[in-house]
Amino acid sequence: MLFDRAFTISAVLLATTAFSGLVLVQSVPLWLAFPTVIILIISLLRAEGNGIIRRAMARVTVSATLWNILLICAFLILLIDLTVVSQDLLPAGIHFLVVLLDIKLLTLQQRRDYRHLYAISLMAILASAALTTDAWFIPIFLLYLLAAVWMLLLYHLTHEPDDLSPGITSSSTAAGHATFPSGLTRRFFWLTNGTALMTIAMTLTIFFLIPRIGAGMFQKTSGETVRTTGFSDRVDLGTIGSVKQDPQIVMRVELPDQPAVQKDRLYLRGLAYDQYNGRSWNHSETRRRSLNSVDEGRVFLVRSTGLPPGNLSIPIRQDILLETLDTAVLFAAPFAERVSGEFLTVLTDTMGGLYLPSPPSSRIRYSVTSHVTRLAQDERTASTLVYPDFIRSHYLQVPEESQLVKDLAHRVTQEATTPFGRVLAIHQHLLENYHYSLENDTVTLRHPLEEFLFTRKTGYCEHYATAMVVMLRTIGIPARLVTGFLATEWNEFGGYFTVRQRDAHAWVEVYFPSSGWIIMDPTPTVSAAVSTSRWAPLTRFGESVRLQWDRLFVRYSAKDQLAVVHGVRESRDALREQASHWGSLISAPIEKSFSGLVHVAHTFRPGMLELITGVVVVGLALLLLILRDRIGLWATTHLPTSHPQLAIAHLYTHMVRTVEKHGVRKSPSATANEFARLVEREWKAASPMVADVIALYHQGRYSRTPLTASELSRAAEQVGRLQSLPHTPR
Amino acid sequence: MNSSHTIRSIQDNIALVIKGKTHVIEMAVVCLLARGHLLLEDVPGVGKTTLAHSLARSLSCSFKRIQFTSDLLPSDIVGVSMFNRQKQGFEFIPGPIFANVVLADEINRTTPKTQSSLLEAMGEAQISVDNQTHPLEQPFMVIATQNPAEYHGTFPLPESQLDRFLMRLCIGYPTLTEERKVLNRAYSLHPAEMLDPVLSAQEVLALQARVDQVHMEESLTDYLLAIVQATRQSELLSLGVSTRGALGLSKAAKALAVVRGRDYCLPDDIKELAPIVLSHRVMLNRTHGMRTQSFEQAERMVLDIVETVPVPV
Repeated sequence: MLFDRAFTISAVLLATTAFSGLVLVQSVPLWLAFPTVIILIISLLRAEGNGIIRRAMARVTVSATLWNILLICAFLILLIDLTVVSQDLLPAGIHFLVVLLDIKLLTLQQRRDYRHLYAISLMAILASAALTTDAWFIPIFLLYLLAAVWMLLLYHLTHEPDDLSPGITSSSTAAGHATFPSGLTRRFFWLTNGTALMTIAMTLTIFFLIPRIGAGMFQKTSGETVRTTGFSDRVDLGTIGSVKQDPQIVMRVELPDQPAVQKDRLYLRGLAYDQYNGRSWNHSETRRRSLNSVDEGRVFLVRSTGLPPGNLSIPIRQDILLETLDTAVLFAAPFAERVSGEFLTVLTDTMGGLYLPSPPSSRIRYSVTSHVTRLAQDERTASTLVYPDFIRSHYLQVPEESQLVKDLAHRVTQEATTPFGRVLAIHQHLLENYHYSLENDTVTLRHPLEEFLFTRKTGYCEHYATAMVVMLRTIGIPARLVTGFLATEWNEFGGYFTVRQRDAHAWVEVYFPSSGWIIMDPTPTVSAAVSTSRWAPLTRFGESVRLQWDRLFVRYSAKDQLAVVHGVRESRDALREQASHWGSLISAPIEKSFSGLVHVAHTFRPGMLELITGVVVVGLALLLLILRDRIGLWATTHLPTSHPQLAIAHLYTHMVRTVEKHGVRKSPSATANEFARLVEREWKAASPMVADVIALYHQGRYSRTPLTASELSRAAEQVGRLQSLPHTPR
Repeated sequence: MNSSHTIRSIQDNIALVIKGKTHVIEMAVVCLLARGHLLLEDVPGVGKTTLAHSLARSLSCSFKRIQFTSDLLPSDIVGVSMFNRQKQGFEFIPGPIFANVVLADEINRTTPKTQSSLLEAMGEAQISVDNQTHPLEQPFMVIATQNPAEYHGTFPLPESQLDRFLMRLCIGYPTLTEERKVLNRAYSLHPAEMLDPVLSAQEVLALQARVDQVHMEESLTDYLLAIVQATRQSELLSLGVSTRGALGLSKAAKALAVVRGRDYCLPDDIKELAPIVLSHRVMLNRTHGMRTQSFEQAERMVLDIVETVPVPV
């Protein structure tokens, strides 16, 4: 492929990536996006050499004045946009950028235009970077870097013949340049891509090392909030059903270092409700109080349940990344004991719900430690239970017109002898006699519960849970309805639960005096909610990448950087200690040193992150150092950036430098032949190569006929051979 | 015509007589090809005259020898106008200068007046007698010899005349084995007399034309000028190299390139020739305690100066 064509294509690709970045942050309106896409396609076809487009474009000639007028118009539109339409610099600026991009793409002729295109693309990618924290930015950015490296390199290459160094006469320039291939070679292709990869690696290194001031200067505050119903003071029966089809991600729950916890389902408790009026659930008490905070206000203690520790299971620690929701509720596995996060205060109500003072405006991350309650053995078999007054007054309320329900409850539980047996009977009854279905439009019904129980016999979690609570209450067992999420989508790549809008769920908590609230879920398990297609692992993998992106890049703060620095310092101190330790061990008896070494091996654990960063930096530096000469050598002969006369001079300099590294020094006033004689005396092994290169150098540098490409590569070969000689001058 | 072959043959031819002095022979040939004049300066009896003689004999050109003595007159060199009775007019009788190769033996033995009569001939390759100008035959080369060891009754060459010599060479004593070869020669005849010419005048002219075609890269010109500049700025020298000297060095370098079988110059050509071409054109600074100027001193100075000039890459 010709350099010129590759250059144009890479320029169009650069523009495309920059533009798609803007599109993905949803900053380009459709009326602008559509023509831009068409222009991009046309430009690509033209760059690729499509005859029809080329001819059509040649026919349409527009004077430069018209373009200038268009530009001025675009600028005026920007001003109007800025002052009247969007009234915001960023969107208006982006619109203007896209218009500029279009104009530049259409007038891509002079080198100046390419420079402008590059600048516009850079600004576009910066704008999209400022507007997003999403993981899709990674591929766009990588593509952008690749295209940018290509374009800059090709720009330089196609530019080079215009200004050669003054020492070379123009006549020999023309003759010499023709001997170079003017197209892309395979090695050139890979070198360029390698450069791009190296750039990316460097970028990453720099990202983790440079000091930072804060995050997300222009982070968008609107448009990303997930609308979730069912987490307010009131739950209307049938509202959750409307979100049951929505696959949007609500949160991700990690369970760090807890292999014992079941990975198939996890209840994430939101709010509990005690009052049911026949149509909807709400709270009898709306009082909320602040949680006590410890550890400089970062950890909040939920009031202890006051239950004996024997009834508590092992604690579950969850790290939760909560998307922006329209609710202030904090979700956690039941029952939360400690909440930690960057909050000023955390509120709680009487039924254990956790709230922030207001819905968060951005994605938040917090950790919760929870204890799942277990039913005590004596209550499992007790025939009567005595409930405290507070429980009786709050959790036995039923709506008035529920005689039918009462009868059903009694009928179902007549064979059971213990309260727990009755609970199980109702649970069993609901599981066995009703069908799960989302196709219920119960919001308009007057008596949704009776409808569910006696007429339709199909429903979803809210119906099941409501039915169970009401039936339990009619037979005197305190219970309440809980809403939240039932996480079932375990991501094995990232080690976390993905919780989606459709995982919204409602279940029941039943009260036992000494065990506390016990979770009962009367809803049959629905497998349809989880995607089981062949691509599921792939999407889960993509999901985990997004989470890692969020953790490593978006949330990478000055604090994290400090942690890295601390880690490095600590491991360095540890290393020093180990070193002194080893030093003392050398003098000690062998047995002792052996045990010491074992001890060292056990205690020495450098932090992974700093280790990787260090290895990457050092590795890159070493690689560059090792390959420096080879790259330079390769560049002088394979890039047509230089005239052969310059190339052979470069090679000669390379050769002299290489030999000098081996201790044979050339004085500035020594000629090449004198140097060759010196090498002959001082370093016999290098002499043939040096002589050959010098002969070629003389011919290529001082004669009228420039060297051919094959002669040049022979010279490069000889220099390469010289470089690989063992280090043994006389 | 294979130039490198012919040049090789002339060197080989001279080497039959002058044993072991390949470098001096090569330089003499360079001087010939560069249209220059040669000054041989050495102690008596090391083959100065023989070298000149052999070079002249190797070319099928006319050769004249002038032995310079204190009573030699200019007319003895350039010739005289004599009255021809038969023609009833003055007739120019050309002197020994009218030859392709002129050997001016012991040039410092004659008076400055006679020495200067060589000037015009060497510079312009023509002779003016009685308002009449007589062009000299081409190729034209003056090979002068002088003895540096003996100063009594000599007239050192003026600077202007020294500058007209392209190079000054020193032959030096031969090595033991070479000297033995000389002694073992079984001829009674002067060895130069038995040489056969290998090059015609036309061939010499063609070679000289070829020298003009030699390519000198711009950076080399810069290098050459840097050397010349350095001699002018050096504290060791009270007089630097003239522009004629720079021109001469350039010509000589091109000639050396031809002799070495190239059609382009190398830095080595310039560097190698610089002492030979430049040392007789400079004057050492008397403040540095050197009352007299010897061949070796000047050559060493020029070498030192050349070593300070970086070679272009």
